[in-house]
Amino acid sequence: MSIWEKAKTLDRRIIFLFMFLGVGLPLLAKIGLPVSVTDDVRNVYNYIEKLEPGDIVLVSYDHDTGTLPEMIPMSDAILRHLFKKDIRVVGMALRAEGNGIGRQNIRRTSAEFDKTEGTDYVFLGFRPEITAAILGLGTSFEKVFPKDDRGIPVGELPLMNEVSNYNDVKLVISVTDDDTPVYWVNYANARFKVKVVAGLTAVMATTFFPFIDSGQMVGMVAGLKGAAEYEKLIKTPGRAARGMDAQSIAHLVMIGFIIIGNVAFIMRRRGK
Amino acid sequence: MRRTFPILVCFSFGMTMLVQFFVPSKLSTDAYNEITNWVQIIYAFALIVGVVGLLKYHFSRVSRRERGWFYNLVTVASLIVMSLLGFIGGRGDGGSFMWVFNNMMAPMQATVFSLLAFFVASAAYRGFLARNLEAFLLLFSAVMIMFGIASVGNAIPPFSDIANWILINPSMTARRGIFIGVGLGTIAVSLRVILGVERTYLGKE
Repeated sequence: MSIWEKAKTLDRRIIFLFMFLGVGLPLLAKIGLPVSVTDDVRNVYNYIEKLEPGDIVLVSYDHDTGTLPEMIPMSDAILRHLFKKDIRVVGMALRAEGNGIGRQNIRRTSAEFDKTEGTDYVFLGFRPEITAAILGLGTSFEKVFPKDDRGIPVGELPLMNEVSNYNDVKLVISVTDDDTPVYWVNYANARFKVKVVAGLTAVMATTFFPFIDSGQMVGMVAGLKGAAEYEKLIKTPGRAARGMDAQSIAHLVMIGFIIIGNVAFIMRRRGK
Repeated sequence: MRRTFPILVCFSFGMTMLVQFFVPSKLSTDAYNEITNWVQIIYAFALIVGVVGLLKYHFSRVSRRERGWFYNLVTVASLIVMSLLGFIGGRGDGGSFMWVFNNMMAPMQATVFSLLAFFVASAAYRGFLARNLEAFLLLFSAVMIMFGIASVGNAIPPFSDIANWILINPSMTARRGIFIGVGLGTIAVSLRVILGVERTYLGKE
């Protein structure tokens, strides 16, 4: 059996081992591979940078726990930027699991900046049925969320007294691992003209290029790469920068295997 | 009547929501707000129906000891335990509900998701072969995007430029075509449902 024939039946555990090393070693030994900032991420950063202290931004956690390692560095970076600029944050979730994720994420990040719940930020909780929830917020936040996540009536929260509907919100950020930003664009942006940004898993990014190109979305932060770019922009290296080393090496390992697989395939065909 | 009434309800609400969008007035806005509230309430009840359906399905498999019944039992047990933890101990930070969420559910889901990298690498090695021109183009695009956008190649202009060109031109063109098709299809199906032509959502006779 030639080496090319052997390559065809390569034990997949060898591939798994290389993948494991490709992901694991960069996490142990920091490499610091370069990260260049794309326009989509820079647009998000620039838009937030132009907001005034005291402005209000709505952050919706529309993802589940499976994608946490990719989403949390992104949420952390964006929230740090918002809190650093004294922008107030209204958090909510359109996925049941997003409720626990969002509440902990906002509380943890806000604590770094000594922010007070109810005044500087609130977390409203989870609402099912995406379309009705997004449309409802356009009329009244209080009707969709009569109480915050702790069960306190929103009328008793100083921040929520300044938020009636989308007119009082400068930006909506949907952190998601699916196509929820399409709903935000279709119902919140198209109908109520509120600006929309998406924080996405990398695999979802191509879906949203047409929306950015048409101006329906300000920009997007896609995947660990987007999060690393944002960390670079706010000059606060975090988990994304470290994770990008692992992701880049893993991609190189995968590309290497694809090339080997194709070389072996071509050589086998020539041999026949 | 069992079929006529739902069709009439669907027609009335469908037409109301359609007309109110194009006729802004206090009456139409009030109707819109009211219906939006109703949708949320109906959805909450639909969740209850969903949970009951889920329990019925899994219990029946467990009681018949069908193949893999143990996993059905795990599903039911997980649902009950998490519900009890939430109802009794609350969902607040530091409670047992959030402990299970943070220390069991999140790591398990993330683990399953991260296993994809290993299986994708193995599948790509065996299946991602340039067997013909179309396969080569797909392969070339995938490698360029992987290298030029999502990894270190992004800092190397020729690769990042090629990857960006692929994303901004062929990829976005195809996406736009799909979106337009989906949009037209949604309008067509919506009209069929509102006008009572499409009745499959009512179930069998």
